[in-house]
This record gives sequence, structure tokens and C-alpha cells, in this order.
Amino acid sequence: MSTETLIPEEPEAPTNRPPSMRRVKLWLQRPYARKILILNVVIGFLLLPLAWLLLAGMNQTGAPASEIMKDIEQTVFVFTIVSIPITAFVFAVLVYSLLGWRHVSGDEPPMQDSPAIRTNTIGVILWTVASTLLAMFLVVWGLVELAQITANSFGSIAANEQPGQKSAEIINVTGQQWVWTFEYPEHNGLTSDVLYLPLDRPVYFNVTSKDVIHNFWAVELGVKVDANPGAITQTGVTANKLGTFNVRCAELCGMHHAFMQTQIQVLEQDAFDSWVRESGGKKTS
Amino acid sequence: MSVDAAVETKTVFGSEVPQPPQHGAAGGVMRRLNFGTGLVGGIGLATIAGWITAIITPSSASSDTFAPMEPTYVYLAVLLGWFIGFMLGMGAFVGPLRWVVGRDITHSDAEYMAGKDLGRKRYWKYTTDHKVVGIQYLIVAMLVLGFAGLLAMLIRTELGMTWTSLFTPSFYNSMIGTHGIAMIIGMIVIISGPLGNFIVPMMIGARDMAFPRLNALSLWLFVSAVPMLVSSMFMGGIQDGWSVYYPLAAQAPPGMLGYQLTIIVFAVSTAVASVNLMTTILTMRAKGMTWSRTPIFVYGIFAASVMGLYAFPFFQYAQILGLSDRVFNTSFFDPLNGGSVWLYENLFWLLGHPEVYVILIPSMAVALELMPVFLRKPLFSFNFAVAGIVGVVALSGLVWAHHMYMTGWAPAANYPFMLSTELISIPVGFLVLVAIGTFWRGTAWTRLPLMAVYAVVFNKMIGGVTGVYLSDVPADQYFHGSMFVVAHFHYMLMGAGLFGAMAGIAFFFPKMTGRFLDERIGSIGLWTAFIGFQITFMSMFVAGLQGQPRRVLNFDDQFNLSNWISTIGAYVIGIGMLIFLSAIITSWRSGVLASSNPWGSKSLEWQTATPVPLENFPVLPVVTERPYDYGVPDPYEAELDSTDQDLMEKAGTK
Repeated sequence: MSTETLIPEEPEAPTNRPPSMRRVKLWLQRPYARKILILNVVIGFLLLPLAWLLLAGMNQTGAPASEIMKDIEQTVFVFTIVSIPITAFVFAVLVYSLLGWRHVSGDEPPMQDSPAIRTNTIGVILWTVASTLLAMFLVVWGLVELAQITANSFGSIAANEQPGQKSAEIINVTGQQWVWTFEYPEHNGLTSDVLYLPLDRPVYFNVTSKDVIHNFWAVELGVKVDANPGAITQTGVTANKLGTFNVRCAELCGMHHAFMQTQIQVLEQDAFDSWVRESGGKKTS
Repeated sequence: MSVDAAVETKTVFGSEVPQPPQHGAAGGVMRRLNFGTGLVGGIGLATIAGWITAIITPSSASSDTFAPMEPTYVYLAVLLGWFIGFMLGMGAFVGPLRWVVGRDITHSDAEYMAGKDLGRKRYWKYTTDHKVVGIQYLIVAMLVLGFAGLLAMLIRTELGMTWTSLFTPSFYNSMIGTHGIAMIIGMIVIISGPLGNFIVPMMIGARDMAFPRLNALSLWLFVSAVPMLVSSMFMGGIQDGWSVYYPLAAQAPPGMLGYQLTIIVFAVSTAVASVNLMTTILTMRAKGMTWSRTPIFVYGIFAASVMGLYAFPFFQYAQILGLSDRVFNTSFFDPLNGGSVWLYENLFWLLGHPEVYVILIPSMAVALELMPVFLRKPLFSFNFAVAGIVGVVALSGLVWAHHMYMTGWAPAANYPFMLSTELISIPVGFLVLVAIGTFWRGTAWTRLPLMAVYAVVFNKMIGGVTGVYLSDVPADQYFHGSMFVVAHFHYMLMGAGLFGAMAGIAFFFPKMTGRFLDERIGSIGLWTAFIGFQITFMSMFVAGLQGQPRRVLNFDDQFNLSNWISTIGAYVIGIGMLIFLSAIITSWRSGVLASSNPWGSKSLEWQTATPVPLENFPVLPVVTERPYDYGVPDPYEAELDSTDQDLMEKAGTK
């Protein structure tokens, strides 16, 4: 910016405002400061649609099909929105450095050195406070959401005992190279290789493996937990959307890892019951 | 016994100086050893060891899964034979062996080992000069990265050709495993190796590293590990990803031994190099180089050494236990016989996460190191940069289990690990602040090294923000094990790490080779790779969001588009990297000659002659200033002060 003028056009009249405010005002009068702030806002708004694009990517196959997935998407959305201003600021500085502060005549070094800014107390404090607050916000948000999701997935057993609630369905999920087996112990040990889930009813998964570590990922339901040999990991979900969804293995488990996937059928309670009957299981008691 | 041999003297500055007595004669077989004899020794001993093992192994020997054990034993013997033979042939044991027989390395032998008057031959020997070791590290690290990059191209080709399958699933799995571990090893070395060895001693005004022979040892241990890794591809490969979780790794073919021995040897190499760098930095800084006058790159290398030193043993133990499981049928990691898969995962990630910072911190530090030179202003808030590095080191060991949120290992531990992981974004943020603060109002002399820094900061932001999603347990419940993770850590390790290494190499190229890295070809390569990088990994983010798991060679049709785009981007990266590589090769051979301080830097390493003489400085320097003393007084500040004065005067007259 060769046309920068160092002295403001009109001399500052003495006022009663505190000197720090005056310094901020003077700072804002510098051409680069304004341009960077404008760039910051512009880039921020350009990045804003990202938040929706992320969700569009996640929702392609019908998610969210449960409260848990909804919470996950909300978290992704909020994190994106929160990180946009700071990302946009960094990008704005990079862009302005390349456009506004670039030394034009290529190969030779600039004739004069740049201002020797060793530090800037206000800037440093602002950055530290802002980044700490941001991190704290993310931590608190994450903790609250995690508690909520844990309640959603592990609370299903407790719901079993509450009067007026639909009782939970228990499903034993077993991974082995390279298929999933779903066993319904409450229905005469009925087994299936497609996961049938009743709509709006808590489901409780006991996940284990026969050989190596697999990862049980019910994609659109937002359920994911490792299937470990010799151990049972527990999780749960309440599907709240009818449809066909995906189970994929999300932990490398050998040669045909890529093919270790199956479908989820979320059915109305009636349809679920008739599937149970037709497949030879007992009716839900 | 009478000692009446005349004391040897040497004329130094015109006066006779008595020389210390030398034990044993100079010369001997040591002077005939080089890389060629190393290869002969390694291959020879490997062949003999393999042959003998094949004879003495009973053909009925089998593992507890009834797999024949003969290939395992033979392969193990071949690898050990290679390692011992190669190190013997290189002359790695000359010092200890002479010591055992009561002789020592004489002064002239030490000079010979440092490569004095050996010309180009010294690059093929067990040379102790830190500058030679630095160049050797650079070449080997680039070879490893090139090998891993080639595998990356093959992986993307397979994933891009959605209508057919190029490779068998086993070979595909072995490619992703080898690509992963080779990239990790290459990236750990690519800055700390060449620049840490070549530049750091000069930067702190030392004549060499603290332990020159250990320096050579760390390099040649690393070199000896590379063929082990590559050979595993021919023994069934590493089919279990770079993390080789058990019990899957127990099912793997004998190629897994190549992985285990590579890690065991490489961990020793890292430990040796770390101790050497740390000692050098702690004890050999020039007179007057207080901690506040020590350049930030030195801090970065020191931090990486600290983290490497405490993190690698976990990994090494894990691999030793795994090796024992495989060879002796123990059951450390066999859950059906009382072992624990979670123990392995913990040991692995206790390395796995600090190692990310072992790669990232040197690359950020080299970026911060070169910025003041091209922006002609001091590093913004040096103390903050140091605080950021210290903070990352302090927290690096407390975050490993965020890789294990979904394992079911300890659901309650997810809360504290989420906290520590998100806290680490604060010190990393300090480093970003220092970077943009240094960009702030600096007249950007946009030569190639600085341009690479723009790429680093950009990628670092994207990698950092996506990392925050992954640090959060609920979001990780969706992203864990998906392509989103792959894209994220490529943004960190490649986008920030490798582009940082490119910046560092371009910056120090004139000092290392005496020639400029070709600006035009280098820039074309850099920006082609950068654009390709964005294409590849942005669409990989999309694939992850859509729900594509990682490490799959086959996927639903909905992922086709993002994988096609990703593959196209990968080829663009490949072309860009080849162009950059050609810039390095052509410039090294016939680039524009550079003066000893072509960038006008005030740092010590640029004050010596180019090519740098043996022992670097004719007279050891004394440091009297802080680093990065560039810049002119800030005109705006002067103006502010004067208006302050005016106001005070006016207020006084009222």
C-alpha cells in the first residue's frame, strides 16, 4: 500500500475519552486494519455455508435417524460456526499479507526493513483470552453433549423399569471376519444378519467379537463402538426414523474389511413383531 | 616398562604444543569400510543366517494357529543377519571393538571418520561430521517419503477405479499399512534429521554435535531399518494398517516381523538422535546464547527430541511384546489367553499422539524461524512461541486416549481426555498467533520458503479446526475410523508437516549445497502440490462426512464421486512433488551459486563460509543480541506517541 498516509487528515481533538479507546480509534483509522477486518468478515461469510454443507454430507443417506445422531450433527454445526471467525481472521491476514504487504519487485530483498513489532500486549491478551474461552466453550459443550448421548445410549435399560415406557429391546451384536450377526435373546435367540430395529423403542447393544477387533458403526444412527474379542462393550440407541440404513465396520479387520457391512431396517412395532414371528422368534412379551 | 618415546608435538600458531598420547596405530581395516562393505556384510550375513535357520528349524514347527513357523524363523534370522552384518560392514562397531582390545581411535582416525579430505567418498561412509550426516539423512528421508508416496499413488489409483479392482485385498491392505508407517518414519526424520543435524549445531555456534559417533550411529540405524520395512512387502506385507492392532496383527503373515524389527531399530535410532540433539543444545550453545537468545528452531528440535525420547519406548516395548507373541507363542496381546488388546492400543497411542507433535513442532518451528528473515521484522512475541512449544510438549503425553474414545476401554476416561485434547489447541493456537503476528505489517519478500509458510499456516488452520471436531467425543462417534480422520491427519502431517519441510529445505538449501533452490521450478512444484492437496483432502473430508470408513478398497456407489475427485487431486500432488523433486536435483547439480548468506539472515548458521568447513567456525562466535533483530522503528507508534504528547500538553495548558 504505497498510498498509505501515516498521519490522519484531521488532527485529533482532545477529548475526555480514555486514552486506550483513542488508541483503538486511531488503530482503526489505519488503512490495513480496516481492510483486514473487512476481509475477515467477508471470508467469514464465505465460509458460513460450510456449516450446512457439512450437514448435507452427513445427511445424504437419511441421517439423523436418532436423537444421538441429531446431537452429533448439532455439535458439528456449532463447532463449525464457532471456529469460522478465528479461521477467517487468520485467512484474512494471510490474504492481506499476500496482496497488501507484498514486496513487489521479486528477487531482491526489500530496501527497508519492516516495523520492529516485538510483541503487542493487547493483541496477545486478546488472542489468549479468546482462544481459552473458545476452548472452554467447546469443552463444556462437548461434556454436556457427551453426558446427553451417554444418557441416550445407556439409559435404555433404566427405561425398561419405568412404568409406561416401552421396554428396551436387547440385541447381541457379534462381529467376526467378515460378517455381523445380530441375536435377539428376548425372542428365542433369533439371529439375523440384517439389523431389524423397532421404531421409537430403546435398543440396547451388547457388542463383542469372535476373532479380531471390529467396529460396529450404525452410520445414520450415530452409534459406534468397538467389538473386542473377549470383552463386551455396551451401547444403545432409539431409532426414530423409518427406513433402511447402514452398518459398516469402522476398524480394519483383515482382508475383506471393506465388505463387512450390512443394513439396518427400522420397522414399525407391528412390522417388527411380524418379522419376529415369521423368522421363528417369540412374540414380544 | 619404560616410557621413553618422545612426546609428540604439533605446531599451533608458531608454538610447540604437546599432543596427548595416542593408543594404538592409526588406520587399519576401519578405513576400508563404506556403504558397499555394509551391503556386502548385511546381505552376506542375512543369507548365511537364513540358510542355517532353514536347516535347523524342524519343518513340523507351527504356531498356535497351526501356521508353519519356518518362514517366520527364517525371515527373523535374515532380518537380524542383515542388521548385524550391515552395521558391522559399515563400521558402526569400530569404536567399541577397539576399546575392547585396548586401543582407541587415534586423532587421525577421528579426523578420518569426520570425513576430512575425503571429498565425496565421505557421504558413503560412517562419517561423524554433522553436516555429512545431515545430507545423508536428507537423501534417505526423501527416498523413504518417495517410496511411501508411490504407495499413496497406488492406493488412490485403486480407490479411484471404482469399476474394477487393481489389487487383491491383501495387497491393498499391505500397501496402506506400509504407506502409513513409511510416511510416519519419513516425516519424523525429514526435518529433525537433515536440518536438526546440519543446521542446529551451526545455529547454536557449535563445532559439531555433542556425540559425533552416536550421530552417525543414529543415521545408519535408520538406514538399516529401511530395507527391513521394504522387505516386509515381499513377505506378505503389513496388512493391518500402520497401527497393527492385535489380535489382527497376530494373524498377519511373516511380513509383520519386518514392521516389528523396523520399529525396534528405528526407536533406538530416535533415542540416540534425541539424546544427542538434546545434549548438544543444552551444553554446546555459543557463549552469550542465553535461552532468550536461542533461535526458535532450536526450541522446536529440542521439543521434538524430548517427545521422541519419552514416546518411542512405549512403541518399542509394544513391538517387542508383539514379536515375542509371534515367535515364542506368548500371549501378551492375545485376549483369549489372558492378554489384552487394550494394552496394545494404549502402548501404541502413547507413542502415536506425541509422535504427531514430533512431526508438527519442528515444521512449525522452521516456518517461524524463516519468517523473520523474509518479512524483515522480529519474530512476533518470541516468549509466546516458546510458551506454545512448551505447552504442547507438556500436554502431548496426556492426550493419547482420544484415539480410543470408541474402543469401550474406559468410557469414563473420555471426559478427561476430551478436556486435555481440547486444551492442547491453546498452545498450538499460540504458534498460529506468532505466525500471523509476524506476517502483520511485514513487507513480504515472497521467495519460495516464505510462500511455503503461507501454505503451512493455511493447512494448519484447516487441520486444527477439523481436529477440534475429532477431539470431541460426540462428533468423534461419527468421524472415528472414517475418511474424515484420514483427511484431518493428512492436513496436519502433510499439509503442515511436509510443506513445512519443503519450506525448511528451500530456506537452508543455499547453506547445505551452496546453490539456490530453483525459484521458478520449485514454486511451480509447491503450488501444484498445494492445489492437488486441497482437491484430494477436501473431497476426502466429504467422503468421511458421507460415512465412508477408512482403509477400505471397496465402497458404496455414493462415495464414488468424492473418491474420483480425490484421486485426481492425488495425481496433481504427485506431479507437483515430482516437479519439486526435480527442482531439488537440478539445483543441487547446477543451480545458481549462492553467497554464504544469501537471505541476509542474522542467525549464526549463515555467518560461516559456504561450503561450511569442517568444525564450522574458525573462531567460536559470541552472541550478544537477541535473534531476529531486524526491523525499523514503527512509524505508527512514533505518531501515536507524538499525539499522546500533544494531548498531554493541551491537557496541561487547559
